[in-house]
Amino acid sequence: MNMKRLYRGGDIASEDSPKLKRADVLVEGGKIIRVAAGIKADAQTEVVDCTGRVLLPSLFDIHVHAREPGQEEKENIATCAEAAINGGVTGFVMMPNTAPAIDNAGVVRSVIASAGRTRIGPSIYTTGAITKGRKGEELAGIAGMKAAGAVMLTDDGFPVDNPQVLRRAMEYARDYDLPLASHCEVKELSGKGSMHEGSVSYSLGLQGIPAISEEICIARDIRIAEYTRVHLHIQHVTTARGMETIRRAKERGIRVTCEVAPHHLIFSHEDIGNYDSHYKMNPPLRTKEDNEALLQGLIDGFFDVIATDHAPHTEFEKNQSFADAPFGITGLETALPSLYDRFISKGRLGWNLIVKRYSAEPRRILKLDPVPVIEGGIAEFIVFNPKAASTFTRAFMKSKSINTPFLDKEVKGLVERVIYRGDELLAR
Amino acid sequence: MTPRKDLLDIQSLTDAEIEFVLANAVPFKDLFRRSVKKVPTLKGRTMLTLFYEPSTRTRSSFEVAASRLSADITHFDVESSSVVKGESVLDTVETLEAMKVDYIVVRHKQSGIPNLIAKNTAASVINAGDGWHAHPTQALLDAFTLREVFPDLKGRRVVIAGDIQHSRVARSTSLLLRRLGMKIAYLAPGSLMPRELPKNITQFSNWEDALKWKPDAVYLLRVQMERQAEQFFPSIGEYHSNYGLTDERLKILRERGVYLMHPGPVNRGVELTDAGMDYERSLINAQVENGIAVRMSVLYWLRPGAQGGVS
Amino acid sequence: MKNRLLLDKPAMASAVRRLADEICAKNKDAGQLALIGIHKRGVPLAWRLAAEMKSRPCAEVLVGTIDITQYRDDLSMMKMVPKLEGSDIPFSIDDAVVVLCDEVIFTGRSVRAALDELLDHGRPRRVQLAVLVDRAGREFPVQPDFAAHRITLSDDERVSVLFEEVDGEDAVLVQKSEEKKAE
Repeated sequence: MNMKRLYRGGDIASEDSPKLKRADVLVEGGKIIRVAAGIKADAQTEVVDCTGRVLLPSLFDIHVHAREPGQEEKENIATCAEAAINGGVTGFVMMPNTAPAIDNAGVVRSVIASAGRTRIGPSIYTTGAITKGRKGEELAGIAGMKAAGAVMLTDDGFPVDNPQVLRRAMEYARDYDLPLASHCEVKELSGKGSMHEGSVSYSLGLQGIPAISEEICIARDIRIAEYTRVHLHIQHVTTARGMETIRRAKERGIRVTCEVAPHHLIFSHEDIGNYDSHYKMNPPLRTKEDNEALLQGLIDGFFDVIATDHAPHTEFEKNQSFADAPFGITGLETALPSLYDRFISKGRLGWNLIVKRYSAEPRRILKLDPVPVIEGGIAEFIVFNPKAASTFTRAFMKSKSINTPFLDKEVKGLVERVIYRGDELLAR
Repeated sequence: MTPRKDLLDIQSLTDAEIEFVLANAVPFKDLFRRSVKKVPTLKGRTMLTLFYEPSTRTRSSFEVAASRLSADITHFDVESSSVVKGESVLDTVETLEAMKVDYIVVRHKQSGIPNLIAKNTAASVINAGDGWHAHPTQALLDAFTLREVFPDLKGRRVVIAGDIQHSRVARSTSLLLRRLGMKIAYLAPGSLMPRELPKNITQFSNWEDALKWKPDAVYLLRVQMERQAEQFFPSIGEYHSNYGLTDERLKILRERGVYLMHPGPVNRGVELTDAGMDYERSLINAQVENGIAVRMSVLYWLRPGAQGGVS
Repeated sequence: MKNRLLLDKPAMASAVRRLADEICAKNKDAGQLALIGIHKRGVPLAWRLAAEMKSRPCAEVLVGTIDITQYRDDLSMMKMVPKLEGSDIPFSIDDAVVVLCDEVIFTGRSVRAALDELLDHGRPRRVQLAVLVDRAGREFPVQPDFAAHRITLSDDERVSVLFEEVDGEDAVLVQKSEEKKAE
């Protein structure tokens, strides 16, 4: 649309500084044509009052389960896109643990085409599986998938059990310049566990997933990545020891990046209480000490990106015994408000950190340009109201699934507007 | 005492509630000496046992308890093959709701199922053992039995020996006994001792040290022989000689007047020898008798539709 | 709540003596009498009657107690679950002459419950009822054989019998209350 829109009086967040900059933002033709104080609006310009609001570049989530093809009862790419927009996310990367898996060019093309029919189509990307069917045995058609548009390889949901298979995959993938993302756990150590192995798993009488399962796999994958010189991206890190291993690798100059999920910052195994499967995910919620270590890691720049691991499941599936319910919670819609509510509003995290780790760096990992709110930049930003609240009712959420611990709960902060290439995709 | 709807675990009970249930079990036990062992308390109410794991003992204990309270008893036959996932449980619960059953006694091999059922029914749910999590009526009858021998439990010591990791009896009983002021120690092979335990539980890896601790009672747990999909110890023989109550150890118990408990049924030759079964200070039969009185007391206290069933 | 004193300590003692006299007189043919006190305050009454009767030429007296909680017709309607005191009848009541003792009879429901419980203990030859206070207002066809005092009260009043063993003092009071209690 060629309409001009003036976003007046808001506070602009950027990755460069924790300080917000009060300025007006003028948008036209998909671009930010001016950022300054006191911009005058002409008759053709729609004025949006942003007093008290924060304007920040829109978010990008590199770990999302859109469940298409084959699991559309939980979510599909279209509803996933709407859920993303609802949470201020205008770009994401889809995981390949679908049915069939995204393990060849044909499926890659099909999901990209499906993404193209959504409102943020150009910004939805897909991974491709490392192995056929994610079985961990034979390599998937890596070159074909890259040609069809895959941006990253992962068997997410599963680790690659066999180190030799992982090594060969890494050696091959390196030439196609595809980062390889690892879901790190040792299947045998995780066993049939459904939550962190510790004092709470003892008192609830549930089999636990020990921290060593993640720690050992992280160490292994990093060593193989170093050996094969591929870019390794460690997904959803939850253990302090795992962080230590990654930190040492980074210090040695190994090309490894890593992500942390908001729920691992906010919740611990103590929140599991009465067998509520809305607190069940893999890797599981760990201890309060781990929460703190992860938060510190985010603050001191250890974590490259925040990613939600948005994992929708139907109500029916989640309403089973804790041990039987599938792992995973949704996250696209709750991420920014919950991070605001728990950390930004309390001064523990600055807006610059959110912009850097949940908007700029995720794009950089995929060699995409970040979308800062600057003059001349592309108009892709969100208007966030710290003084309003978000209540995550069924009606409020756009995802097909409601498996979130924030269900029917109120959280400080509300995504009010989402601007994507100049168009307002959301205006509350 | 305010009634609750459900009894799911020991954790959610207040000290006052525990005292109430244990105190009321006394008149129920006295009832057994009458020729008419029945009271009309639950006349017209129905108790249904929903046992996904077989158990003749616990089930018949509940059935006797309920019938002595004049309740009607019925059993929901769950074919073990049809029950693989939790969704069958909730479908079953819907059926039971339609039948307007008052009390549902549940045993399931997965922790948390009674909690799930309780959330989805107005009936009173009693946990008769879920996975490794809890067995609250067992804990209550264990405490009741120990109190008959030691009216003041404070400072008395119990060693719980066996497969602690997979034992709901260990969890519930040790929690309740600690709340009543007793000192608890666990004795288990390393592979069956949970990694993280409450700080006030002492840990032993052998009988010598456990007996040096001077327990007043020893509580033997069943060895879960059925569950050895993963190997936790090399053989039954090795288990018995190192962690079972051998005749030599029984001799020491006898010399010191230490009491013996077991939730039943006993694996002869594994936890206990034949001689152990005849031990004069065994409380195993008392546990069974008291189980009925305690379960009557629980059924007397719970009320379908009441508030606050869940911790 | 305004209290009106109906019987003071000496008057209560005198009432107990009168009851003892009547019970003994009526049961001259019985070799043994079983006084069964209904929890809670029927129990001290039974013990006091037994003490009086022991000092008279009277049948041999045995004392037992019953807790009628589980036989109440309003148990499931009560908001709180009452603590059980338990019944204690350490002798057989088969073919016995039983005198149920309660401090007040009002609606008659407690006595109905007591009779049902009693019959689960055995089969007495004869059952009589002794009360300190008979308050008019029966809801069941039950009448005391022995009553020391008869009164009629209005709906917002209740009679309380206090015993030193239980309440720290001896008195029979009339109190104004909102609840009409089943006695």
